[in-house]
Amino acid sequence: MEQTGPSSFNITINGRRVEAARGEVVLQVARRAGIQIPTLCDHPAVEAFGSCRLCMVEVTKEEWKGWKGLMTACLYPVAQGLIIETDSESVHHVRRNVLDLLLARCPDSELIRRLAAEYGVTRTSFVQRENPDLCILCGLCTRVCETAATSAITTTRRGHDREVGTPWGGPPPDCIGCLGCAHVCPTGHITFEDKGLTRTIWGREFELQRCSDCGKPLPLTRDQVDFLARRQQLDPSYLSRCADCQRRSVAQTMGRIARWHQLGLVQEEAEVAQ
Amino acid sequence: METVRYDSVDDFGSHVKRLKASGLARRRRVLVCCGTGCLAGGARGVAEAFAAQLDRSRQAELNLVVKRTGCHGFCEKGPLVVLMPRGTFYKGVKPEHVSQIIERSIVGDDVIEELLYVEPGSGKPVAGYGEIEFYARQTRVAMRNIGHIDPADIDDYLLRDGYAALAKTLSTMTPEDVLSTIEKARLRGRGGGGFDAGRKWRSCKRAAGEKRYVIANGDEGDPGAFMDRSIMEGDPHGVLEGMVIGAYALESHEGYIYVRQEYPLAVEHLQRAIDDARARNLLGDNILGSNFSFDIEISRGGGAFVCGESSALMRSVEGKVGEPRAKYVHATDKGLWDQPTVLNNVETWVTVPRIIEQGAEWFAGLGTEGSKGTKAFSLVGKVKNTGLVEVEMGTTLREIIFGPGGGMLEEGERGRFKAVQTGGPSGGCLPAAQLDLPVDFDTLTRAGSMMGSGGMIVMDHSTCMVDVARYFLSFLVDESCGKCVPCREGLFQMYQIVSRICEGEGTAGDLDQIDDLSRAILVGSLCALGKSGPNPVLSTLQHFRDEYRAHINERRCPAGVCKALITYRVVNEACDGCGACLKACASSAILGTPKKGDTFNIDEAKCDRCGACVTVCKRGAIAVG
Amino acid sequence: MKIEVDIKPTEQILARYPAQPRFLISVMQDIQLGYRYLPREALERVAGALGVPLARVYGVATFYKAFSLTPRGERELRICTGTACHIRGAPLILHELQTRLGIKPGQTTEDLVFSLEAVNCVGACALAPVVVVNDVAHGNVSVTGVRRLIRTPKTPKTPKGKDVGADN
Repeated sequence: MEQTGPSSFNITINGRRVEAARGEVVLQVARRAGIQIPTLCDHPAVEAFGSCRLCMVEVTKEEWKGWKGLMTACLYPVAQGLIIETDSESVHHVRRNVLDLLLARCPDSELIRRLAAEYGVTRTSFVQRENPDLCILCGLCTRVCETAATSAITTTRRGHDREVGTPWGGPPPDCIGCLGCAHVCPTGHITFEDKGLTRTIWGREFELQRCSDCGKPLPLTRDQVDFLARRQQLDPSYLSRCADCQRRSVAQTMGRIARWHQLGLVQEEAEVAQ
Repeated sequence: METVRYDSVDDFGSHVKRLKASGLARRRRVLVCCGTGCLAGGARGVAEAFAAQLDRSRQAELNLVVKRTGCHGFCEKGPLVVLMPRGTFYKGVKPEHVSQIIERSIVGDDVIEELLYVEPGSGKPVAGYGEIEFYARQTRVAMRNIGHIDPADIDDYLLRDGYAALAKTLSTMTPEDVLSTIEKARLRGRGGGGFDAGRKWRSCKRAAGEKRYVIANGDEGDPGAFMDRSIMEGDPHGVLEGMVIGAYALESHEGYIYVRQEYPLAVEHLQRAIDDARARNLLGDNILGSNFSFDIEISRGGGAFVCGESSALMRSVEGKVGEPRAKYVHATDKGLWDQPTVLNNVETWVTVPRIIEQGAEWFAGLGTEGSKGTKAFSLVGKVKNTGLVEVEMGTTLREIIFGPGGGMLEEGERGRFKAVQTGGPSGGCLPAAQLDLPVDFDTLTRAGSMMGSGGMIVMDHSTCMVDVARYFLSFLVDESCGKCVPCREGLFQMYQIVSRICEGEGTAGDLDQIDDLSRAILVGSLCALGKSGPNPVLSTLQHFRDEYRAHINERRCPAGVCKALITYRVVNEACDGCGACLKACASSAILGTPKKGDTFNIDEAKCDRCGACVTVCKRGAIAVG
Repeated sequence: MKIEVDIKPTEQILARYPAQPRFLISVMQDIQLGYRYLPREALERVAGALGVPLARVYGVATFYKAFSLTPRGERELRICTGTACHIRGAPLILHELQTRLGIKPGQTTEDLVFSLEAVNCVGACALAPVVVVNDVAHGNVSVTGVRRLIRTPKTPKTPKGKDVGADN
């Protein structure tokens, strides 16, 4: 890995010279240059994982004398003199197989069907999973839960039996109902329901936070409010108002400040005068 | 064993001198092998019999010591007892033989013929350790101490110049001296990757980080390999010494030995060695008064082959699941806890003190141009002498299998050599045409297999190569961590295809599909488990394609192994009606009237092809085909 | 039947290690050895003590083969399925034990006497095929000889009084 050398340099992607900075990875440089590389397990909220292998690109350097390697763009660090092909035959060959294999795993997923069709796969060449669900094991849900919430869900077992699950298969004790997992899930495998004041996800029921001013249910659960307040060291009341009431409250505060200026008062005096 | 602590290299040196000059050092030695293999054969009883019949005063009287050693590597012939210095080698020893051994070979000067090893080639019994072909043809460097010392006795290790290399390092060499010695020796890692150890150490030395870690990989997950087990059980100090020297070169102060969960004896012996080394100041703070401090902790595996992969191993040490990371960022830059780390196999570490002691030129003088030194192999399967064989790199497969290996196990057509599998699940099968290949990292890779950790499994014509491919795929599917799609899904699908072929349900397009999918798995997988996963299938396809064709096109298994394609039947002409098969059959598939050989019959529908009947039939009256 | 889990041994085990996440696997190995499985109550206590989220503890418990979330038998039969053992007949031995005990690998008999497992190479390849019963390795096992290993005082004998598991 390059630790020394210039901090920014050019690399070549699909014959184009693009600027890159030390410490960046191929995927971010490509995106910046408007070059599309498909991904499934990549998301800005979490660190790159390299599990889906869809973003594989062909890399080489002049000094490699014709040797080419396939690397995942989401993790491969840029370096001076890097030459990258994002759509070569070998790249497509891997992508086609990855999508064909995922289609065997999740034949009912719209997303996988669409992506697989782009690479010429309309029916899987492999043995389809029995009782398939929509989970492609991209790991986004567990990684988001770990980074942004409480690590309430986990991957269990290993290999072909690997599954995203909860402790002993039951409602996860540490879940706060934040829906981070459901929002990042690319296939819609993780579902939830908000009904009245109750949110249900992973077999657990949560009470939605009511707005402290108007009483309307917020999209946050009470557990979530507690968690965020503790973690960000905020006053829970800061998180317990709906958008409208929050705006009203801010407007009122601004109005008060304007009055003090009118009266030529400094804040402490104004508070005494209240 | 004395309680003594070395405050300086001189302290150490003078103690070793005293030890070597002492009476104890010059006594005769009765070595009872207590490695896992011999223990399985009943060695504990033998060791206890010796202990009971030769107490300390009797030992002093007879001017000998009785030692429980680690694995000699010749497990099939165990329990083994060796009498030194004469070298008398007794195999298959039982507790009831012990009094005879004492009377005739220890008090007396005789050899007990029935306990001698018989050379399969000549048919003659061999009295001496040094004359036994299995050992005579070996060059033991990594395994030089195993079988000669009691692993629980640090003085035994010192008597064989143990820790002399460390003393030399700390008193006469700088870290840079050590690094360049290893670089000049061109030692390549013995764990499977064969990466140049000196280069690895050098990258770690150059990397930026707060701490550096040193790890010994004792995961030895390749089925059929047990070299590392023997080294850890039989010469634990050798591993420690190598690690301290390496840590000194790298300026690391914390080391770990990762031992797989299936090796409890190795954990015990290593821990004992660590405790003893610490007590003597050969490990810990201010080693031998040199101001260099380094300590080692053992980390036990949880039962996962993937944890033999270095990045997965490091996650396991960290208390996490064993999921590998992409190797774009090397462990030497960001390894254990994201710090620069050197991970090497146990066999690599145990070689380090030898190189320091005897010099880089000596080591580089052994072996071939691309692969220096020696390599320990576990030679198992259908050979007469199964066990651990260490030879110079460049020795041919034929020389190993038919030399120390003693040749094929069984007679006749079915016993003929068919293939040798090297490199475990990441490797491949080489046919008879490749027997003259010199064993060397690059040669084996070019031939479509790989050195791997040293497993060498010999197969004869009773082995079905398609079944072997299926076996390895099933292993890998079980052991895949499941993180990446090509390995998790791809190897699973490959296993489905090959299984179908074994069940006589192969189709015309299968071989092409295997080729296509293999390519994707090879380049697409995240780690070496996945990347090398297709190798067993590809190598058997390359060298034994006809066998696959027979399964697919003719629904026939030439080796008579694949259950769906064979039937068991009674050869009534040969049957005497003893009924042993009937009793042995767990599926009640055999019927017959006792003593009436012509009435015996196997119901194909109920027959499970378990083979129990074949095992018990004394008349060979069951035919498989 | 809900069995009360004695948490004391777990506390004793935790006391042996610093309260850091990196000792998770070691702690779990000791618990597995002590209880013959990983009780939920024990793992909940471990999660709290080491500061590891419960889901992660559970993930680790299900990833590694050494661990079992359900009680294992008094006699754990581990059939080595390493390559050397495979070509010397391990599948037949496994099949024999499966049939005789009526359980599959990974399962335990109802009376909690026997557990069956197909394990990776135990490193006794020269003695293939190998079956490990608790910590004792038995080498050169035959399909008929292996019945010895599952003999209990209750094993029925054949009508003539001859033991079905006689070695040949």
